[in-house]
Amino acid sequence: MKRRSTVALSLVVVLAAALTAATSGATQRAAANNITVWLQVDAQSGWPDLVASVNKQFQSAHPGATVNVQYQNWGDHLQKFDATIAGNSVPDVIEMGNTEMTKYMAAGAFAPLDKSTFDNSANWLKGLAASGKFGGKTYGVPYYAGSRVVTYRTDLFKKAGIKKLPASTAEYVADAKKLAATSSKKGFSPVYIAGTDWYVAMGFVFDYGGGIATEVSGKWKGLLDSPKSIAGLTAYKNFFDATSKASKTTDESHPNPYDVYAQGGAASMIGQSWFTCCVGAKYKASTAQFVMPGHVKGQALPGFLGGSDLAVPASSQNKALAAEWIKDFTSTASEKTLQAKGNIPNATNLLGSSVNERAAARSWFVPTAKHWVDVENGNILRNMLAQILNGKLSVKQAAASASDNIARVLNQD
Amino acid sequence: MLDSSTNAAAGTLVSASRRRRRARDRALHGVVPFLLILPVVAVIGVILGYPLYWLVKLSTERYGLFELIQHKGVWVGLDNYRSVLGDAVFWRTLLRTVVFTIANVALTMVLGTLIALLLVRVSSWVRLVLSSGLVLVWAMPVVVAVQVWYWMTNFQNGVVNYVLTELHIGDFFQHDWYATTFSQLSLTTMLIVWGALPFVVITLYAGLAQVPGDLIEAAEVDGARSWRIFFDITLPILKPILLILTSLSIIWDFGVFTQPYLLIGQSKITTGNYLMSIYLFEEGYFKSDFGRGAAISILMLLIVAALSVVYVRKMVRMGEASA
Repeated sequence: MKRRSTVALSLVVVLAAALTAATSGATQRAAANNITVWLQVDAQSGWPDLVASVNKQFQSAHPGATVNVQYQNWGDHLQKFDATIAGNSVPDVIEMGNTEMTKYMAAGAFAPLDKSTFDNSANWLKGLAASGKFGGKTYGVPYYAGSRVVTYRTDLFKKAGIKKLPASTAEYVADAKKLAATSSKKGFSPVYIAGTDWYVAMGFVFDYGGGIATEVSGKWKGLLDSPKSIAGLTAYKNFFDATSKASKTTDESHPNPYDVYAQGGAASMIGQSWFTCCVGAKYKASTAQFVMPGHVKGQALPGFLGGSDLAVPASSQNKALAAEWIKDFTSTASEKTLQAKGNIPNATNLLGSSVNERAAARSWFVPTAKHWVDVENGNILRNMLAQILNGKLSVKQAAASASDNIARVLNQD
Repeated sequence: MLDSSTNAAAGTLVSASRRRRRARDRALHGVVPFLLILPVVAVIGVILGYPLYWLVKLSTERYGLFELIQHKGVWVGLDNYRSVLGDAVFWRTLLRTVVFTIANVALTMVLGTLIALLLVRVSSWVRLVLSSGLVLVWAMPVVVAVQVWYWMTNFQNGVVNYVLTELHIGDFFQHDWYATTFSQLSLTTMLIVWGALPFVVITLYAGLAQVPGDLIEAAEVDGARSWRIFFDITLPILKPILLILTSLSIIWDFGVFTQPYLLIGQSKITTGNYLMSIYLFEEGYFKSDFGRGAAISILMLLIVAALSVVYVRKMVRMGEASA
């Protein structure tokens, strides 16, 4: 009996070992003037030359200082950030999506910054500046914004006999029918949209006057089940069915739309304006962009105004140096380079009239709730879109259940 | 008289010292096993006890992002446990995970036994090819294996869709293997069983070497059929190994994370396809609710202990019988 209990006990211990085994990612402890910068992979694929030149400039202005840039993925960078907070080895600069800032600012994760020391701070884009402000203090420096546009193959549009770019979604669908005949490739998409790309889908919702959620006297209320939102979701389903051969359950990075495009799998695609970076040498010369039209002729489909902020974690050992680096990386010269790559610069006085900047004129943004990021990470919208496109649920059923879920998540304390 | 008395005295003296030595030996005998086991207990205590203590402590605290930054939690008693046990998602996830675990373990054990039996019967070069194949599977890192499976089952260019279409099994062009929860978890099961087989097969093959050939021969002479030989001779001899492999598989498969999380992909993970480890990860890490996450992992620990208690008891009984 005694023996049995010892064996049982040791087994319990072994079980505990199997379950509690946890991984931990540790970044190296910062040296006196070594700063670690976390940028998203977008910089790595889109403008690595800017990062390199800013680092060079920074290092010549601060002799002996080194910059260690580590590229992160949107999917897990917050979990990694949490782990570094727990281990007291945070990066000195971190790029945050504008939808991710609120939760971290509210928890006191970032150090306040002196807004006036940054270039063009008086003219920062309103939406981006607001996402980096909390309780009257500035924690995030706008880095860049981006809207979503259509990137298309001019040669295929010509081959299909399309003389005028579509001015409404209906015209675009009609053009898609002609475009489908231009390629014999199996699975060719006239307009490539990943099924669960909610940034595109919600554009349809906002185009029909719908919304995701709204705050009514301190409580969040889901809006996806409203008649206008349902009309938008139905329009998305119809548009997808008519134009895209992408998987109905996949997201916009598995595969990257520009990879499909570069392999000749699409005549056009909806996505970030910097997608032109990666369309492949073969199609580089025959690629152009236009503003995605909405259902009313002549009006743009509202685009998600995405953007990034740069912040300095509160427990960084080199806050002053980190702020200096942000200053260089968001200087007028840097922002102009970002603009040349197809992004929207962070200040109104720098705005031009590119397709991207015109598209940003009609835009939408996610509900500014502390728990919004949980809605994103919980894939509530993606799941709803997959259900709708698969036909597993009617638009109404899927929207109603998603709407309830969103309200529940946003109303957590 | 004198002689005898001195003799007697000497006798008592000798026997007293002998008795003392014997007592000392006995005491030493009592202490030595404990001394021998002490280093192991100490190491286990430090490696497991310490984190386990923190895990239990964390599970009784409110520990979110704010507390993480302060490095200090707020004691809330059993609130985290109450919140998890009151969550309908937890119970649905638990049921799904139990079914998933049973399917995985059953497939692993049945296929593993069959392949091990096959290994005994095939010619030596086939055995060589088979076992090198198994070792290669074993040597492949999980993340790499997931990536390979992901590409094979890819929607657009996957080789599985291509082969199935070429074999005229149906039109699998752009078949979406990740469209339903059942399909997602079935793929995950295939990947896990594929990865778990080498260990099970090789261990069982080693066990089969212990089955005495003359016993089987004798049974054959008595006219026993092969399934009878398997159930009455081979199986009882393999039983201890099977029990250990089964309980290990239960522990591994119940808490499996890497394969489902990476294969299904973060953007397809919803409350509708959670497994326990993913539930723990999403609730604890994604929502930065570490106290609740700790409570979930303690509950998982208890559930696995409950699931494998049958096997553990059998193993312990077997250990007693042989002792």
